[in-house]
Amino acid sequence: MSPTAGPGVVLEAVSKRFGTITALRDVSLRAAPGEAIAITGRSGSGKSTLLALIGGLDQPDTGSILIDGRAVWTERHDARARRELVGFVFQRHLLLETLSARANVEVPLIGAGMHHHARRETALRLLEDVGLADRAEHIPAALSGGERQRVAIARALANEPRLLLADEPTGALDTATSETVLDLIFQLRDRRGMTLVIVSYDEAVSVRADRTVNLIDGALVSTTPA
Amino acid sequence: MFNIITTNLWRRPARTVFTAAGIAVGVAMVVALLSFTSGLQKTAAGFVHLGGSGLGVFQANVSEPTTSLLPTALVGRLRALPQVTRATPLLLVVEAIKREPAAIVFGAEPSGFFTRSLVIVEGTRGASGTQAALVGDRLAAQLHVHAGGHIAIKGHSYPVAGVYHSGIYFEDAGAVLPLAVAQAIAGHPGEETDIVVDLAAGVRASAAGAQIERAVPGTRVITDPEQALRVGANATLISQAILVIVVIALIVGGLSVANTMAMSVMERRSELGLLSTVGWSPLRVAILIFGEGVGVSLIGAAGGLLLGVVGGRLLVDALGVSSYVSPSITAWGLGRGLLIGVAIGMLGGIYPAWRVTRMTPLRALAGT
Repeated sequence: MSPTAGPGVVLEAVSKRFGTITALRDVSLRAAPGEAIAITGRSGSGKSTLLALIGGLDQPDTGSILIDGRAVWTERHDARARRELVGFVFQRHLLLETLSARANVEVPLIGAGMHHHARRETALRLLEDVGLADRAEHIPAALSGGERQRVAIARALANEPRLLLADEPTGALDTATSETVLDLIFQLRDRRGMTLVIVSYDEAVSVRADRTVNLIDGALVSTTPA
Repeated sequence: MFNIITTNLWRRPARTVFTAAGIAVGVAMVVALLSFTSGLQKTAAGFVHLGGSGLGVFQANVSEPTTSLLPTALVGRLRALPQVTRATPLLLVVEAIKREPAAIVFGAEPSGFFTRSLVIVEGTRGASGTQAALVGDRLAAQLHVHAGGHIAIKGHSYPVAGVYHSGIYFEDAGAVLPLAVAQAIAGHPGEETDIVVDLAAGVRASAAGAQIERAVPGTRVITDPEQALRVGANATLISQAILVIVVIALIVGGLSVANTMAMSVMERRSELGLLSTVGWSPLRVAILIFGEGVGVSLIGAAGGLLLGVVGGRLLVDALGVSSYVSPSITAWGLGRGLLIGVAIGMLGGIYPAWRVTRMTPLRALAGT
């Protein structure tokens, strides 16, 4: 697959509250096309909220989020924009337990309206990319933690996203498996030219990223170039 | 999508089965009642065309055709009408045979075309002027009665002159007495239930019926089975009961599906949030939930159709009318049962599906 240019991401003075809790305050951030940014911070510092807002899973109370210079997260079109632009990887793999690995990877392609046979072929190719071709018909319960996360990565890549958002993708994995999963994410990012925003406590992530930003109590306090 | 719907339905098999069972009961009741009324319609067809007649003349404004009473003098007036070639009076006596209460005893003129049309399969028609009975072959088999034997009707014993077959179910499941004898035991001397009429060639039954009703005020002419059912209060009651059961089935089944699917949506918020996250539109997620609602209803409807076929027979037995009503399963009856099942799923799926469209992906993912 030929690399696709990841989009630039611009956040201007973004704030978000949940009831009385301020999750993000006045956050401004720019990611260049194809850049890999690691977001660090303590639990509750707003990392996951920031990632969710970038991916259009919720709307900021104030401020703006531009992807490739456009405000794509309008209520009317956000499902389509997510489908065409963004791939998500979560700490909890969130695989559908009753479906096989292949069928899980096919789920985003159903949303895209892809034909059955094409879906199947695409899913199998992606599972091969993440080294799970021989586990395609296994359900999640029959896979190890690392394998499940690799299936989740394959699913995130199904619609060929240009922006990959990963929320603590190694948080539930042991050190060796974490290394494997991070290797895979960064290899895929390099190969596909995706813009990558990755939330993690893991030092290994900051080492691999182009830049690390640190959040404290919802505010962006420092940016560290690699 | 279909694959996801089916796997989700079997994720909690007990819940799916119990919900489907509730729907099945509703659908089964509808199918059973429809098969019963369809059977009743077939019976009514025989009732209208007793003795192979073209139509039957009854008393107007009675709750049930069998409660009609007409004066015997009316027979002569009908015979005088140009549309009529033959007319003969019939008195229907119900619950007259203790051992087979559903059997009908027909009081008929021995020389009338009703009696003459019976095919004697054993014995004779009996000599005129006697009190001998003719017994239908079905009833004879049930009571083990033969020509030359006796049959008890309204507490009196009558000699059996012969056993007949007519091809009309409840004629064959009944017996025939001379009209005067039947009038005496029923306490209706000079009266009959109806007058069966044969029409002249080329005369349409519906047109002749209207002319007869005008010529003989106070009569009601029944020319087709559906008309007979409409006239009968019991049949009307059954039709209304079906409507009530359909409405109850839709409400109870719909609520049951809505409850099941709403619980499922609550439990699977993270999963549904994930579908939004990977780009499924709210409409597509709603269709998934809606499809699961319809899916569980289809399972229920399939079970209900099977149960209804069995239930139709049980209903007939429970009402004690099995000797003259046989449940009739029609494709349209089953189709209506299936449609009701699908409608239950659609009604029940609306609210959970709508609810899904109101969830934001972030809150759904967080399970809040």
